Amino acid sequence: MEIQGYNMPDELYYEQNHFWVRQEGDEVVMGMDDFAQKMAGEIVYVQLPGEGKAVKQGAKFAKMESGKWLGKVYAPVSGELTAVNEALETNPELINEDCYGKGWLFKIKPEDLSELNNLIHGKEAVEKWVLADIEKYAQEK
Amino acid sequence: MEAKYDFIKKYREQVLQCSRCGFCQAVCPVFGATLRPAYNARGKMLVLKEVMDGKIDLNDELIDTLFQCTTCANCFKNCPSGVNVPEIIKQVRKDMVHIGSCHPAFTGMNDVLKKYTNIYAEDEAEDFGRKKNQTAEYVFFIGCVGAYREEESTQATLELLDFTKIDYTLIDEVCCSGVLEDIGFTINAAHVQTNIDRILSTGAGTVITGCPYCYRTFINRPQYKPLLDKGIKILHISQFLKDFDFGVTTDKRVTYHDPCDLGRHCEIYDEPRQTITKIAPNFVEMPHSRVDALCCGAGGGVRGAFAKNSIAMARRRLVEAEEIGAEIVLTECNSCVHNLANAKLRKQPFQIYTTTQLIRKLMKEKGSLKN
Repeated sequence: MEIQGYNMPDELYYEQNHFWVRQEGDEVVMGMDDFAQKMAGEIVYVQLPGEGKAVKQGAKFAKMESGKWLGKVYAPVSGELTAVNEALETNPELINEDCYGKGWLFKIKPEDLSELNNLIHGKEAVEKWVLADIEKYAQEK
Repeated sequence: MEAKYDFIKKYREQVLQCSRCGFCQAVCPVFGATLRPAYNARGKMLVLKEVMDGKIDLNDELIDTLFQCTTCANCFKNCPSGVNVPEIIKQVRKDMVHIGSCHPAFTGMNDVLKKYTNIYAEDEAEDFGRKKNQTAEYVFFIGCVGAYREEESTQATLELLDFTKIDYTLIDEVCCSGVLEDIGFTINAAHVQTNIDRILSTGAGTVITGCPYCYRTFINRPQYKPLLDKGIKILHISQFLKDFDFGVTTDKRVTYHDPCDLGRHCEIYDEPRQTITKIAPNFVEMPHSRVDALCCGAGGGVRGAFAKNSIAMARRRLVEAEEIGAEIVLTECNSCVHNLANAKLRKQPFQIYTTTQLIRKLMKEKGSLKN
């Protein structure tokens, strides 16, 4: 689905700080959504914590930077970090080029997959949320 | 005929003094990361000579070349003709800004400091839970990077200051704003006055800075002279800590990265090493150290304006740490630690800390500081 120029695929789950989540077997993959990567501009750094790190839903566990912005990465579910996208270490702009594909960030093995239900999901909910954020950030400018 | 630009009035002879030997190219971090001769000091001086000769004019096309300089001064220190490139570049940037040609990130920094009290346009600083704006013997001045980007480093420094039992206070500090003079603008007089007033109101005789750049600004910028006139002593934290023994050591192979602002610009090379060699007997220098130290790439506004190249410069520095088998890389600058940590690859087997972070870590492991 495209919302005012932002590509927000319907099938994904979204964490409120604009990280997308996709279930893959008993793991989830997460990344930065199109709205966030466009707001941030060229990403120049992503902190890649060690695999095995415990993460907690809603808690920050890594940092990202663009030239103008320092952001925190929030865990969409509680669980264990199982993989990080090492390509981002030398090529963080993959996030800008392909945020739902080659620019993925982390894989997490959730303790409880039902936590996905706490995330924003479904065409109507995503649209409402993104439109509200577009308005919010337009006011802040 | 009067010269068209101030850089010509002030530095014409210096620009002409460049003999194009290329010694600067060997040490220029921007050239090292980009391999583009126009970005090196010699290239920049050639461009400026063309401007002086009226063959080209300053314009937007020169932004990439003339604004891409970390002002690390490695070229100046290695220049047989004594050309003070960083000072020339700072003046050229002012001339560029004057005619309306500026990198947008640099314009952004100036605009931010008109609205905010810190360079990152952050609304709220971390509350470090220490005494603030009160009477004390010492003021600890954190600096923007320590307050908004490297809070862990600041926390470590504060815990060590607590351990020394000195009587210190923080203040509601604002950006020292010295960087504006380096990127084509003018120091923010209101911020300067705020810092001076708040420091003086504590009655402190000494200001300890966590940031080498703030230190440099306080001791060198005429706008901060009222502090020196009042007899206030300015110290960087590394100068203060050298006299203390924290009673901890590590067997790890430790090296030290000289920040340009502390080293080449202020000639503070020995004090950090005095502290480090006390805690790390297995200390080893990188191939380029002290006056020859490679720049981490963060200075002169380059981290903000040319982030990718800035990180590439830091990666070159870390190759040296890897070559000597370092397990710990220390530095005394929050900007350096930030950029080096951003640049570190996962496979590189060392940790990067400020000296205070390492001391705190060792003290906690020993139990001489509470967790």
